Amino acid sequence: MNTLARIDDLHISFGGVAAVNGISFTVGQGELVALIGPNGAGKTTALRMVAGILRPDRGHVFFDERDVTNLPTHTRVRLGLGFTHQIVRPFYGFTTVENVMLAAGHHQTESPWRALASRSRTAAREKAQSILERTGLATQSSQSPRALPLGQRKRLEVARALALDPKLLLLDEPLAGLSSAEATTMADLVRALSAQGITVVLVEHNLGEVLRIADRLVVLDAGKVLAEGPPKDVMARSDVRQAYTGVI
Amino acid sequence: MSSYIASLVSVIGINLILALGLNIITGFCGQVSLGHAAFYGLGAYTAAYLAKLGAPLPVTLLAGTAMAGAIGVVVGLTSLRVRHDFLAVTTMGIGFVFLGFVRKQKWLGGELGISGIPGSGLDPVSYALLIVAFAAAVLGFCLWIKHSWMGFTFDAVADDEDAARTVGVDVSIYKLTAFGIGTALAGLAGGLYIYFARIILPDTFDFVQSIAILTMVVIGGTGSVWGVFAATVALTLLPEVSRAAADYRLLIFGAMLMLVMRFSPGGLAGLARRRLA
Amino acid sequence: MLFAELIVKGLVYGCMYAMMAVGLTLVYGLLRILHIAHAGVFALGAYMTVVVTNATGSLALGFLVAVVVSAAAGTAIYRLAYQPILHHSAFVPMVVSIGLFIVMQEAFRMIFGAYGIAFDNNPWYVANVDLAGINLTYVEIAMVIMSVVLLVGFGLFAGLTRVGIGWRATVSDPQMATSFGVDAVRVRYVNFLFGSALAGIAGGLVGLLNNYVEPTMGGSVSYKALAIVVLGGLGSVRGTLVASLVLGVVEAFGAIYLADIFDRDAIGFLFLIAVLMVRPQGLLGRSSGK
Repeated sequence: MNTLARIDDLHISFGGVAAVNGISFTVGQGELVALIGPNGAGKTTALRMVAGILRPDRGHVFFDERDVTNLPTHTRVRLGLGFTHQIVRPFYGFTTVENVMLAAGHHQTESPWRALASRSRTAAREKAQSILERTGLATQSSQSPRALPLGQRKRLEVARALALDPKLLLLDEPLAGLSSAEATTMADLVRALSAQGITVVLVEHNLGEVLRIADRLVVLDAGKVLAEGPPKDVMARSDVRQAYTGVI
Repeated sequence: MSSYIASLVSVIGINLILALGLNIITGFCGQVSLGHAAFYGLGAYTAAYLAKLGAPLPVTLLAGTAMAGAIGVVVGLTSLRVRHDFLAVTTMGIGFVFLGFVRKQKWLGGELGISGIPGSGLDPVSYALLIVAFAAAVLGFCLWIKHSWMGFTFDAVADDEDAARTVGVDVSIYKLTAFGIGTALAGLAGGLYIYFARIILPDTFDFVQSIAILTMVVIGGTGSVWGVFAATVALTLLPEVSRAAADYRLLIFGAMLMLVMRFSPGGLAGLARRRLA
Repeated sequence: MLFAELIVKGLVYGCMYAMMAVGLTLVYGLLRILHIAHAGVFALGAYMTVVVTNATGSLALGFLVAVVVSAAAGTAIYRLAYQPILHHSAFVPMVVSIGLFIVMQEAFRMIFGAYGIAFDNNPWYVANVDLAGINLTYVEIAMVIMSVVLLVGFGLFAGLTRVGIGWRATVSDPQMATSFGVDAVRVRYVNFLFGSALAGIAGGLVGLLNNYVEPTMGGSVSYKALAIVVLGGLGSVRGTLVASLVLGVVEAFGAIYLADIFDRDAIGFLFLIAVLMVRPQGLLGRSSGK
């Protein structure tokens, strides 16, 4: 299996406190990898470094053989990275379908001059509609994100990232705040995307769903990798259970 | 067309170019700029200086536009560094720095400005029509931008910069583009102004002028091309139509700014939208 | 001696700017609004001082009225202009503030005349003293003393009284503060009352200093106060104080050494822009931490 992304010895501190203290792992093409761990382990911070929203103090991020450590987020997106926020950030001034359309038209938005020369939004609209169908948001397409409940906003976040035709999708707590039924639906969606060939790395607290859909777990604790491997093997380890519950 | 009407049309045309340019920066791309008059002044001074050296009209206009646009991009670079709220004061500062510089430079006429600017070579009516042509082109350009992917992307940048980055938008380049285009247009307005006025004074390009332009944008409805068009025409005609309005021009501007933003922040365009909704 | 004199004069002006800028910082820290109309309150204080002093012969009464009227005006501005539109983006209240300032300026022009008014009898204007070889007018000294007293007083208030601590809590975390029973609305009123009173006093002092009060006087000081607030780090009172003094001194030197290139008003902004390019968060602001 090809390695799509390699995270190499990342370190970052905030105000003198090391949030991430030497994290390394790889992500293989087509895998669904879940970053798990107790609160404060550094999971979201690590993901944001892969996305380019944070720059590490030390260490490297490799994507598709390229060192992207110092590239800004939008450049990484153009190389094939998709990212969803933990606290959703739709464009509240756009409708649902327009949110996805902007991403779907990513070729047109590449440079301002190309954008100036492009007028037609038909192709982007069609692509956006079909993605909304795939993510179960077809009937909401002309609504404002303000009118959508959280579960649908989270799906919109994923839909928008999908429209970028990503090779690697980074999902930051996609199930947070969802009811158990909504969480199962979302987890199924993520699993379906993975089955379609998109490599996925997600950060999640909801162990139940994660264990069901992930190919591989990477367990973080106190800014370091504690364990990694197939879900069953990892969860059987006593040090992993202790990190979560404090009990052997 | 009488020469009075020609004069009026000229002023409306110049104001339109100014307001539409600011609308691109603030309305389309969401970047506050309280120093737009400085770019108007940059264009005017550049054009005037070259005109007095004997340069023909197309050259002076081009030079004014280019100078204002270039400095505008540089100022745009500052917008990338500083946070939103800081930007308002920084752009205000640019205005004061420009004014403070120009007032002291003997070779630019100091406090007395530049006088004795040669004529455009056209009679007043033809010149007014030239200005109208430019204004119409600018209007068309703004409408084009609005319906293109550039307008779509500007909307996203204005809505949520960080989210725009996560869909692959190079926010910095778009902001610089907005600044560059908007300020270049202000420079064009400045170049057109000099042949109309034949004399330029530093005070013409002060903070009050920046606010006057902002007023046209805000009352029209920040971001709405036709709204800004309507507001600019109305606000320019108002002192002509009403003697009282002329005497209390500033008071009316201030009051309108206050009242419109207080009760209908979307300006005229916002009102129209609500009526039609 | 020129060096020392420039520094001292710079500090004097810095104190004046501080009185204006603190009011602005207070508003920004609490509401994230650039309260440009603050300049109008400043000018209002100046006008009140002159008018009442000329009418009654008592400078003390003039200042008292100025303080009360300014504080009331500032609070009214909050209640009528800002409070109803706080839910919009910050652009909206800022533009309302600009409009209001222009209206106030024009009102002064229409009521009191475009050419300004002066004190009938202002002994303070020329009375001066030599301190260690540097010549300072009484007003300049008064300005320094006043600002130090007022700002130290405010510091004590904020640190020691219940209302003051409540105010500080609201500035740093409004929701937390209200859950502790702090009345957020009252905090806002205190904020505007105090900041506006300071501006009114500053206005009166400047009127005394120049022996002249005119409609646009708020402009120059206010723009610089805005620059100071940004320079100090938007919302940080300590930063504002430091920036005020720094700006006063920079301006004093700049006015002499850059006299051929830039005029006085531009120097402050030039300094601001230069600093922001190096430190986008201002002199004492906290960096946004990417």
